[in-house]
Amino acid sequence: MSKNSIENERPVISCLNVWKVFGANATDFEKEKLDNLNENTLTAKKWTAAVCDVSFDIGRGEVFVIMGLSGSGKSTMVRCMSRLIEPTSGDVNIEGENLLSVSDEKLIEIRRQKMGMVFQHFALLPNRDVLGNVAFPLQVQGISRKEREVRASEMISLVGLEGRENFFPAELSGGQQQRVGIARSLASNPSIWFLDEPFSALDPLIRSDLQDELLRLQAQLNKTIVFITHDLDEAIKIADRIAIMDQGRIVQIGTPEDLIMRPANEYVARFTKGVPKSKVVKVSTIMKPVAGNHAKTSSFLNINDRVADVADILTKTQEAIGVRNDGGDIVGVVDRETFIRILAGADIK
Amino acid sequence: MNLNLNYCASLVAASVLFTATPSYAGNVPESDDTIKIMTGDWTSIGLQGEMMQLILQTVGYNAELVVADDSGRYPGFENGDLHISMETWQTTQLQNLEKSVATGKVLDMGETGLAGVEDWWYPSYMKDRCPGLPNWEALKGCAEVFATADTAPKGRYIGGPVSWGDHDERMVAALDLPFEVIHPGTDAAMFAEMKSAYEREAPIVMWVWQPHWLTSVYDGEYVQFPKFEVDCFDDAAWGPNSADTYDCGKPYGWIKKMAWAGGEDVWPCAYEIVRNYNMDNDTLAALLKKVDLEGMSSTDVATEWLMANDDKWKEWASCAM
Amino acid sequence: MKFRSDVVLLEPMRLLLWAFFFTFVFFVINIGPDWMSSFPEALIFPVAEKVGSGLNWFARDAKIAGVPMQEITRSVASFFDLIIDATVVVLSKGIFTGRGLNVSQLVPPLSWMSIGGCLAIVSYRFGGRNLIVITSIAVLFLVLFGLWQNAMVTLASVLVSVLLAMAIGLALGIWSFKSQNVENVTRGVMNVMQTVPIFSYLVPTLLLFGYGPSAALVATVIYALPPMVHNTVLALKSVPTETTECGVMIGCRPRQLLWQVQLPVALGRLAVGMNQTIMMTLNMVIIASMIGAGGLGFNVLQALRKLDIGSGLEAGMGIVALAIILDRISQAAAQRAANGKHLEPGQRPLWQLLVVWLIFSSVIAFIFTPMQTWPDAWEISTASFWNAAVTWVNMNLFDILEGARNFALLEIMRPFNRFLQSAPWSLVVASVVALAFYLGGFKLAVYCALLMFFILLTGYWAPAMASVYLITISVLMAVMIGYPIGFWLSSQPQLKDTANFILDTMQTLPTLVYLLPAVMLFRIGDVSAVIAVILYALAPAVRYAMVGMSQVSPALLEAAQISGCTRWQTLKWIRFPAALPTLLIGVNQTIMMAFSMLIIAALVGTKDLGQEVLIALNRSLVGEGLVAGFCVACLALISDGLLKAAASKAEVSTIRKMNS
Repeated sequence: MSKNSIENERPVISCLNVWKVFGANATDFEKEKLDNLNENTLTAKKWTAAVCDVSFDIGRGEVFVIMGLSGSGKSTMVRCMSRLIEPTSGDVNIEGENLLSVSDEKLIEIRRQKMGMVFQHFALLPNRDVLGNVAFPLQVQGISRKEREVRASEMISLVGLEGRENFFPAELSGGQQQRVGIARSLASNPSIWFLDEPFSALDPLIRSDLQDELLRLQAQLNKTIVFITHDLDEAIKIADRIAIMDQGRIVQIGTPEDLIMRPANEYVARFTKGVPKSKVVKVSTIMKPVAGNHAKTSSFLNINDRVADVADILTKTQEAIGVRNDGGDIVGVVDRETFIRILAGADIK
Repeated sequence: MNLNLNYCASLVAASVLFTATPSYAGNVPESDDTIKIMTGDWTSIGLQGEMMQLILQTVGYNAELVVADDSGRYPGFENGDLHISMETWQTTQLQNLEKSVATGKVLDMGETGLAGVEDWWYPSYMKDRCPGLPNWEALKGCAEVFATADTAPKGRYIGGPVSWGDHDERMVAALDLPFEVIHPGTDAAMFAEMKSAYEREAPIVMWVWQPHWLTSVYDGEYVQFPKFEVDCFDDAAWGPNSADTYDCGKPYGWIKKMAWAGGEDVWPCAYEIVRNYNMDNDTLAALLKKVDLEGMSSTDVATEWLMANDDKWKEWASCAM
Repeated sequence: MKFRSDVVLLEPMRLLLWAFFFTFVFFVINIGPDWMSSFPEALIFPVAEKVGSGLNWFARDAKIAGVPMQEITRSVASFFDLIIDATVVVLSKGIFTGRGLNVSQLVPPLSWMSIGGCLAIVSYRFGGRNLIVITSIAVLFLVLFGLWQNAMVTLASVLVSVLLAMAIGLALGIWSFKSQNVENVTRGVMNVMQTVPIFSYLVPTLLLFGYGPSAALVATVIYALPPMVHNTVLALKSVPTETTECGVMIGCRPRQLLWQVQLPVALGRLAVGMNQTIMMTLNMVIIASMIGAGGLGFNVLQALRKLDIGSGLEAGMGIVALAIILDRISQAAAQRAANGKHLEPGQRPLWQLLVVWLIFSSVIAFIFTPMQTWPDAWEISTASFWNAAVTWVNMNLFDILEGARNFALLEIMRPFNRFLQSAPWSLVVASVVALAFYLGGFKLAVYCALLMFFILLTGYWAPAMASVYLITISVLMAVMIGYPIGFWLSSQPQLKDTANFILDTMQTLPTLVYLLPAVMLFRIGDVSAVIAVILYALAPAVRYAMVGMSQVSPALLEAAQISGCTRWQTLKWIRFPAALPTLLIGVNQTIMMAFSMLIIAALVGTKDLGQEVLIALNRSLVGEGLVAGFCVACLALISDGLLKAAASKAEVSTIRKMNS
């Protein structure tokens, strides 16, 4: 989408050396010099680290997925980014402001204006109807009843629940409940959107629907998204970049393609092994660059197409296929052999 | 708090009757402070308290009934939490009252005219089974008749509730009676056992006091002990056992009214009315029966009696007329 | 089986301890000095007097910032009196003018038709057809049996007490939820408050707040507070973390978070606390009427004083009816509020309906007075039937019962009592400490030892042992009768509602109602007292047995079935071990109930701590009452500590068995 913005613009969220340590006297943590910190000091102090030395930047409009198995620290990490959990050490910057040093009052202001969050088990208030739930963030801010209900109604139709404003959570299906959760998190029009395993508690079919819904919404709203999941397929489907966490540390950050084509270590490789490469790898990765509009081919692919999506073009042609960029310029060719190898799931080189 | 709940019928009627009452002396009530009249866990004090409340209210005072315990009342009276009690029995409260009056905070308001009786009592059918009754010495011979498995060979005698402060154990020892004193925790328990025995005509001897409805419903009589004299409690030489005190029956005696001393200046006329109040055993027993057995509320009984004895209470209340 | 190694390691240590223990026992019995058998008088500290004079000083002479304490407490009392009086005026008394014999009613109170109709409307709105049937039966019972007016006096004080207890309980619960330190303190205080008998703080309450409904209110609130605090903390802790996080992320300030997120979500669990507070408040109705609250409690007392057991039973059932109305409506309201519900099309807001009904019914009641006050002549009564029934049993079954009584008293109870009374104190202390150490470790042992030394040092050892004897016998019987009934009921789901109704009745029907028939049949003394305690403590025993049995996971039962277990084998190997922790907690609750009944049992005539408290109450001995009450609390806390430790031990061993 807008990866270039990462370089051009200041990051929206910037985490630097974030640690979260649990245990008695964990506040002593700052005193330990960071370089001294390793597994041994942690064990000696009977501390457990849920988040170890995590740093990354997230750019405006980026969909950043944090992926890991349970206990990997991903949920703790997303909570450190909103100070739901106080990091033991490190910096978290939100749009240039150091979140960890702001006053309580300012923190409430940031959460109200800039952040929205969706929860795994929806966290709806059972005593309020759909309208009441979605309008709740606005009510908390003291916005008048009329104004907040207008805004809430807009959000409800945005997630496709119009007509169910007066239903209570107990009267909705799981998928519908999470749509309410989504509408609520968007009600105060935040620029940053945290989604903590939002679809894990749902059936596979509904999960897939809601993933599509999320992509549709994102295309429309262009938020900065931090998305937590344990499901690699989901991550690949929606992510601009994925951070893989294991035992509190980030093992690798990269595009889905990076992770599959260039896994940083054995752990990531094992993780991504089962993913069909053709569904992730883009044409740009496997093409041979050509200078000028010199390729003599009859069929063309877009540089951002995923291999699997263009598989039927392959069946219609015997020769190498040309690749154009977004401007229509031919930038490379893909030969059939490479194409077939990827489709078959083999390595490229 | 006010326990009068069946106001409606009786009191609406009363209001019709009394709307023509003359206006009372200008200085009554001397104070609007509420006069707190003690009521207790036996019927007669409640009924007489209710009567006094009605009289005082009628002449213009604020008055309410407050529940308090017989022996536990004294701090309340010395404190000014309780102001008037219509009953203080010589039989059990003599020493308490004297002690309390001695503090100067409590007043002896004179006798009611009622005579209290408390002593060992048995149903009439026991006379055949224990020949010699009502003479107390007969009890020595027929303890086994009154025995139960847990007291045998001694007889079972049911004394007063454990907190009422009698001296049955000392009496049993002094008179050398082969009886074990069993104390219930409350008078209701005493009468439950009594009722059970009476229905089955089973042996029983227990502590009973008068005025009480029991003696008008159940047929029985008191054991005749050596008649109480003050010396019996103080002088070992007195009585059948020359080596011990308490070798006599319980004191029969007056029932007095008492009051908080501080109230004399607050409601002088009310205090005069209380002093004037009097009652006799038969009248009261008849009224108690209406409450205890016929199920009338004590408010209704009190209202009815006062309306029928208009001249009496108005004379007591002459300072308010 | 991997735990085997720890056990082996511990074995020599444990053997040593047991050896030491038995040597000690032998020593005390055979060659120990006298002071080990009977506690030396010289060491007994006259706490009661000190406490008494301290409290008297506090109530009479103490000043806070120049204002006498008494003035503060009395103004608090008159404030609450005002509220209760106002409620009584509306519900039961109406407005009067004139005094004494000149009184006349200006405005009648709300008619039974108005109040009953409002209750019915509210029931229908919150709980539909089922609830309106229950409420109507309860209301009609009160009206037809002529209990309405007194029931409304009781309702007035109960409402004020319940609301006050809930408000204070909620506040303390919230405070405890927010601070661990506060929670530790309140939990300790509440445990003691729950176990100190009411009678022992009645006198101090009277001293501070004067005689009257306020004192009853304060005593009731103290009694009914602990379950509200406890359940508020539990309810708030049960709010899912995500929900709280969601509130924080939305930008709630702390107060918004509490009132708009956490409390509404916790409401379902809070309703449990409400239920217990209501039940306990109604438990207190009799005692409250002893110190001036009037109402149905006074009816019960009056009826029983004249041995009209039937009328006492009816008045007692009136208290049960009130309990059921209040409990079922508040539960339905809480459920509705917790889950949210809109008005259906055509439904009018509740308050509109109520206002219309109040106006309409008041007009009717004004024209047709039986709707205002049910005429005495139309009242019905079953009292004579019950009285005749009691008489019949007395006449025909007394001899059999007397035989049973004598056997129980002479062959079981007296020997056991004698054994406890003659056991050297040092031995008792050592055994309990050893048991505590075995079950819960060092901390529990020290805790139990301290509590027992409190009893020893205050000089209440002998009555305390008598209480232990009464409680032990009663609880054993209650468990032996209650658990089988509970096991059986758990396999009869169709009886669940009936069973719950009977259990609710047993817990709210004033004990005095069945205490006196017990006395008639079993005489004054320990047997009647024990029977009353058993009857009261039976309800929790049955309840916990039902819960325990239904807690076994269905998967386990299926596994047992597949393995071909017989019913008995399933019970023995699967159901019972799985239910054991709950059953032990049930024993614990039964014991707690039994302790709270000690004082009532003393009304029949026992010679234990209950009697000490009762005497202190009747003689207004502030210090003695409180100290004896604390001794009861000590006993209760010891057994609570031991049984909870046993339950968690049982839980661990069950899990181990299942793992191996």
